[in-house]
Amino acid sequence: MPVGQLLVEGLAIGACYGFFAIAVVIIYKTSEVINFSQGGMAMISAYVAFHILTVYQYPFWLAFIITMIFAILLGVLIEYCFLRPAKHPSILGLIVITLGAEMFLVGLASWKWGAEQQYFNLPFDQSVTYEPVPGMVMNNWALAVFVVAIILMTFLFVFFKYTKLGVAMRATQQNKHAAKIMGIRTERVFAFAWGLSSLLGAVAGMFFASRAVLDPTYMMEPYMRAFAGAVLGGLMSIPGVIIGGLLMGLIENFFGFVYPHWKPIIAFVVIILVLCIRPSGLFAKHYVKKV
Amino acid sequence: MKFSRRSLFVFTVLVAFMLIPFLAHAQRSLPPGFDDNEIRIGQWGPQTGPAAPWGSVARGSKLLFDLVNEEGGIHGRKIRYIMRDDMYNPAQTVAVVKELVERVGVLAFVGGVGSATGMAVKDYLAANKIVWVGPAAADDGFVFPVNPYLFAVYPLYKDEGSILTKYIVDKLNMKKIGMLYQNDSYGKDGLEGVKSRLATYRMKLVAEVPIEPTDKDLASQILILKNAGAEAVVMFVSPSHAAIALRTSATIGFKPQWVSSNTLSDYPLMFRITGGLWEGVITGAFGELPDSMHPLMVKYREAAKRLAPGERWGVFYYAGILFADPIVEALKRVGRNLSTEALVKALNSIQKYHTIGPLINWSERQHQGSDAIQIQKCGPNGSYILLQDWTANDLATWKK
Repeated sequence: MPVGQLLVEGLAIGACYGFFAIAVVIIYKTSEVINFSQGGMAMISAYVAFHILTVYQYPFWLAFIITMIFAILLGVLIEYCFLRPAKHPSILGLIVITLGAEMFLVGLASWKWGAEQQYFNLPFDQSVTYEPVPGMVMNNWALAVFVVAIILMTFLFVFFKYTKLGVAMRATQQNKHAAKIMGIRTERVFAFAWGLSSLLGAVAGMFFASRAVLDPTYMMEPYMRAFAGAVLGGLMSIPGVIIGGLLMGLIENFFGFVYPHWKPIIAFVVIILVLCIRPSGLFAKHYVKKV
Repeated sequence: MKFSRRSLFVFTVLVAFMLIPFLAHAQRSLPPGFDDNEIRIGQWGPQTGPAAPWGSVARGSKLLFDLVNEEGGIHGRKIRYIMRDDMYNPAQTVAVVKELVERVGVLAFVGGVGSATGMAVKDYLAANKIVWVGPAAADDGFVFPVNPYLFAVYPLYKDEGSILTKYIVDKLNMKKIGMLYQNDSYGKDGLEGVKSRLATYRMKLVAEVPIEPTDKDLASQILILKNAGAEAVVMFVSPSHAAIALRTSATIGFKPQWVSSNTLSDYPLMFRITGGLWEGVITGAFGELPDSMHPLMVKYREAAKRLAPGERWGVFYYAGILFADPIVEALKRVGRNLSTEALVKALNSIQKYHTIGPLINWSERQHQGSDAIQIQKCGPNGSYILLQDWTANDLATWKK
């Protein structure tokens, strides 16, 4: 068994699941909404990057910056148009709203760019490989995922711990009404959370597209795995979801190597087992909602 | 439990309404599929949705019928061709086929992309004696046992797997062969063909790796093939999975000879979505090369420029022509006295019929038309190189 190589591949795809899962968690932490349109939002942003690169032929980094701005606006827009008009929605209502947004975004992409697969690449040659340790072939894609994951983790840690906005987001999550009384404009906090989440999702979406192909449904499966990773790690803990994502990647790759038939479901089987023992996930404190 | 009179009344009315369609259906006979002036032929196919790239099959058939009409039709009748979008969804296929059969009236269907979509309407069409020529999918269930109204053109994946493996062993001299296959009837049929051929050499696959249609990360699967030392890997997968497989292989330094079924023979598309990694890949093919100088290919290419200037001249577009072509031949053979029975008889008489696809042989006892493929290779910029002309599978058991 090529343990070293499976470790690299598992950690790389796992880190990708991890930081896509952070996008899900940021919304959940502030508004307790599970955003099922996260995959669609990331997909649309990746298509926008693709469009700027192929139609306008802008340099990658300019396209990247424009895409990030677009992603933030998209997140804010979806919160404003889909979530905010719903008055006192139930959990089921919120799920249906985000599912509706997902269908809308997939339909929009099919209409604008067609269903045919498209090639999307990051600005480096993915076939360049390094072998720092015998049996561990590292490539540029995996290196980029690791670097971006570390940068994002550091940024989010500092943001939530030391910035006013970060603290306001945490306060809004803990008690929306108390936060309002303390002068926090909670609606703006929600909009910001959606914008930030959409931005993180867009980065993950571009990584997934550069590993596979771009089509209107390409983010559905990564979303399911990222979401499962988030549940495994604990939906309220950012380091937890990164570790949950990494575990997903490792379990899938090691188990998939020995039993390829079981690869698509094994990670979910493990999650069910873990959640039976720790319902809040591996790294979240047990969450009891006060009435 | 007691029911009020009102509840009973509402219940009775509802039941009566539910019975109306059944009664109406029972009394209604199907509208005819032709008259003195036109013959109505239908096709379903995905024009929207995830499989929309294969929608060009249905549009390719339109080109053939437009040409036939331009040349005066068949024995005084024009062909009225009706396409419907089923979005590659079997439930939608049933709906559009029923609409065409029961409301519009069609003599026959041609093409029709997808095994699951086709299987959803196969029995319905047979029960209503609607002829179906050239399903755009290979499925044993279409033709075994013989369905009197269904005539297949597409070579079976088992035959293709067998022919490709023979090429790898005999021509490429590669003995360590791995297989990456979609875990459904498409992939498993290909796997069976590959194994049956290897058995004749007393060889076995060094690795057989299934992938699920939902898999988006193939790293562990590719590592199995690399670890087994596969020199050649046969793929029976979707275009997306093929692209992921090649991109993943490139990132872990695995460079086998990739060999694939004809479903991935749209080289310009595959070259584009793999960022050029498709160059050098060998595939089966059920049609002549796109730039072939075969007289019919020249004729159709020119017609496409004139009648369908917006269409890309790709393999799936002109597959629509070769799937529909035999019905035109059969209608010519029938003459003016057209009927479903006469059309079926004419289709059963088609033997050694060769246009731009494989050689077709049908009879009353055999409706699988072909077991032959060409072998082609992707050249620079998604160009086509012919490696081996039409080759039949000498191991095909269904012919014996």
